[in-house]
Amino acid sequence: MSSLKLTDVHKSYGKLEVIKGVDLEIQSKEFVVFVGPSGCGKSTLLRMIAGLEHITSGDLEIGGVRMNDVDPSKRGIAMVFQSYALYPHMTVRENMGFALRFAGVAKDQIAKQVNEAARILALEPLLDRLPKELSGGQRQRVAIGRAIVRNPQVFLFDEPLSNLDAELRVHMRIEIARLHKELQTTIIYVTHDQVEAMTLADTIVVLRDGIIEQVGKPLDLYDNPANLFVAGFIGSPKMNFMAGVVTASGHGGVTVELTNQGKAHVVLPLSGPAPAVGAAVTVGVRPEHFGLAGSGGPEITVAIDVAEHLGSTSYIYANTKSGEQIIIEREESRHELGHESITVAIDPAKTFLFSAAGERLR
Amino acid sequence: MTFAMLRRGIVYVLLSLAAFVSVFPFYWMVVGATNTSAEIIKGKTSLGSALITNATAFFTQVDALRIFWNSGVIAVVATALTLLVSSLAGYGFEMFRSRLREKLFGFLLLLLSIPFAAMMVPLFVMFSQAKLVNTFTAVILPTIASIFIIFYFRQATKAFPRELRDAAKIDGLKEWQIFLYVYLPVMRSTYAAATIIVFMANWNNYLWPLVVLQTAENKTITLILSGLTAAYTPDYGLILFGTVLATLPTLIIFFLLQRRFVEGMLGAVK
Amino acid sequence: MTGWAFIAPALILLGLFMIYPIVWSLWMSFQVGKGMNLSFGGFANILRLTKDAVFIRALGNTFTFFIFQVPIMIVLALLFAVALNDATLKFRGFFRTAIFLPCATSLIAYSTVFKSMFAIDGVVNQTLMELHLITAPISWLGDPFWAKVLIIMAITWRWTGYNMIFYLAAMQNIDRSIYEAARIDGVPAWARFRYLTIPMLKPVILFTTVISTIGTLQLFDEVYNFSAGSGGPSDSTLTLSLYIYNLTFKFMPSFGYSATVSWVIVVLVGILSFLQFLVARDRRTS
Repeated sequence: MSSLKLTDVHKSYGKLEVIKGVDLEIQSKEFVVFVGPSGCGKSTLLRMIAGLEHITSGDLEIGGVRMNDVDPSKRGIAMVFQSYALYPHMTVRENMGFALRFAGVAKDQIAKQVNEAARILALEPLLDRLPKELSGGQRQRVAIGRAIVRNPQVFLFDEPLSNLDAELRVHMRIEIARLHKELQTTIIYVTHDQVEAMTLADTIVVLRDGIIEQVGKPLDLYDNPANLFVAGFIGSPKMNFMAGVVTASGHGGVTVELTNQGKAHVVLPLSGPAPAVGAAVTVGVRPEHFGLAGSGGPEITVAIDVAEHLGSTSYIYANTKSGEQIIIEREESRHELGHESITVAIDPAKTFLFSAAGERLR
Repeated sequence: MTFAMLRRGIVYVLLSLAAFVSVFPFYWMVVGATNTSAEIIKGKTSLGSALITNATAFFTQVDALRIFWNSGVIAVVATALTLLVSSLAGYGFEMFRSRLREKLFGFLLLLLSIPFAAMMVPLFVMFSQAKLVNTFTAVILPTIASIFIIFYFRQATKAFPRELRDAAKIDGLKEWQIFLYVYLPVMRSTYAAATIIVFMANWNNYLWPLVVLQTAENKTITLILSGLTAAYTPDYGLILFGTVLATLPTLIIFFLLQRRFVEGMLGAVK
Repeated sequence: MTGWAFIAPALILLGLFMIYPIVWSLWMSFQVGKGMNLSFGGFANILRLTKDAVFIRALGNTFTFFIFQVPIMIVLALLFAVALNDATLKFRGFFRTAIFLPCATSLIAYSTVFKSMFAIDGVVNQTLMELHLITAPISWLGDPFWAKVLIIMAITWRWTGYNMIFYLAAMQNIDRSIYEAARIDGVPAWARFRYLTIPMLKPVILFTTVISTIGTLQLFDEVYNFSAGSGGPSDSTLTLSLYIYNLTFKFMPSFGYSATVSWVIVVLVGILSFLQFLVARDRRTS
């Protein structure tokens, strides 16, 4: 049993509340990623689960047992830190066996567990080195090894890849995914990088300002963001947002006029309650959902700022007439080279609509 | 090009001059130990033949073994206790922050500006009431909790990675174990630098031992040397021989730990 | 709770051997009488200060040492640090060790060595005369003016390297690319020192200045040793600390009055440290 449950968890430093009531259930063997901008409370939440931060109010259960006041070492968790936090004066072997030494495990048993973890991570040739003699990627693997040795129910990762260069980051990402498959344990992983979140997670938890904005499978969050924030946060490049005003509203849909875009009206079918005529709204279109001119749907013409041609894909950075920056993704398309402006079509079927308060309307 | 070379040349000349001025008194001290007092005050700068005479005079006038033992015991015990007590406090102030403790720390820093002279008289009265005058305990006790060394350790602790403490907590260490098994070995350089500072301060301490140590057999080498110098016609040959002996321990520690010292200072001013 | 446990031993010791004596001494400074026969005297001791010619002498001497010694030493230490921070300089390690070496001596040991070097026919006078810088030997220990100069030179010799190490350590923490950027921008060497090094070292300079001020105002060991405890010649090197020592242990003990004198040092250190903080802050805002 390595499920985990948070019930109405709060955290305050004096008068400053940083976690404002989090409810979350994590299943056994699930790979959960906490993602959000810096300062959203994701690391604090992880540290509360680890026992490094006191829980101001609410309950934390691991494997069905309330853990609020249990010592970090007795929660059945292991943690991998952003800076790796390897003990600089100990060899890799001593680092990995340190926790077991203080848990009173016999020496030969420690050696056995350390060797086993070293085998899984291919660390055997490095066991007698000091952390300063290792590369960044090797230190990262030792930090993971130190966590594995303790045989925890839940692994906690706090931005583990942010100190690595881009190539190594991709490599370690794959390694962590492989490890999850092999070890079959629950993993909670904190990152600000939504690419890491999308590629690693079974479930993504999007946090902002100490509250959960949305919980779901990576592609569900992409296809069905609950609000403007999640829509903007998940996806790279980001979803484009354009201001508009509702000009007609009725059963089954609304008509939105985009601000300063000539006569561009988007007619959108709605299932829920429709906003009143005159309400300010935000229209959201993902970069890959803009169509060519003439492909159907309302069209807007935008001024090209910069175009990046990567070969198979091109990203066109452009400005709308009201000054909003938008990004258009085109596959196998190079005919915009040298053009000053471009006309694109908005496909109502693939268009999102948000209220002024950021709620999802469509 | 020539201007830069000229400037570089001046820098070398000035640094060489500074190095000469810094080192010459050491040379003088060593050479003086081999010359007679008359030769010394006449400014003789070459090796002489009075070394044996000076040594014999020193060892007959001074119970050297006893006196160096006194200095050694006081300096070693005081240094060990100071490092322990002050590093615990520096670690405590930095790692466990609270508003009250921050205020307390600020208050302690203010106390740093109060000269020893202001405490000397009450301290002397305290120790004489406790019948501890003329004991090593009286010399050592007031030096153990050093605000300067507490401050030094607190500054150095700022460079100690907090995630190491988190990792150790998750590894199941209690607070005192984290201090002993993680903080202490990681901060070796800081301790080395503090050892130099504190050992030298204690070995060389003068005013308080002068006040509190009264009989000849309990005095430290520093007090004895000062007493010899205060004579109406000081025997400089004998005195410089004693000065060489008294300076050796601090010089040895200095050269052994010099690299560590600079590393430790780096941590202190970060 | 754990936080208090770590600092408790230090707090207990400081309370017993520092705070309690300080409070006691403050109380004592309002007491008059000889030996242990003390009675409350109000401001009698402070009044006595203003009429005590020896005290005023000691105060003046201490101030003279402070005014000349601290700036000379700080400037020298900074210049040496800048010179030694240049990675292309040869023999850096040798120069650094040599200049820092005086710190390894005790105050008593070096003042004894200096005393023998500055004897009337001694090595210093001989050298100066051979260089034709002086025509007659200087009475370093017998002339009131030169005795002060000797003290200032001696302290500077002992402590310049110590301060230099602080500056060197701080300079090594400065990102080298800042200087490289300035060189590419055409900022001359003196301006890099004045507008980059000095502002970035300000906290360390302030720290060492305050520490040196405290040290100089408490000056005791050297003057005691140079003058065999008298503060001579004719009180020209008598410092406040030496006067306190004499009042307490040499003359008929006058605990109350000596406590008052020691609080003069406290007040002076307080005022000077505060002024140094003000100077440091003013430059930052302008």
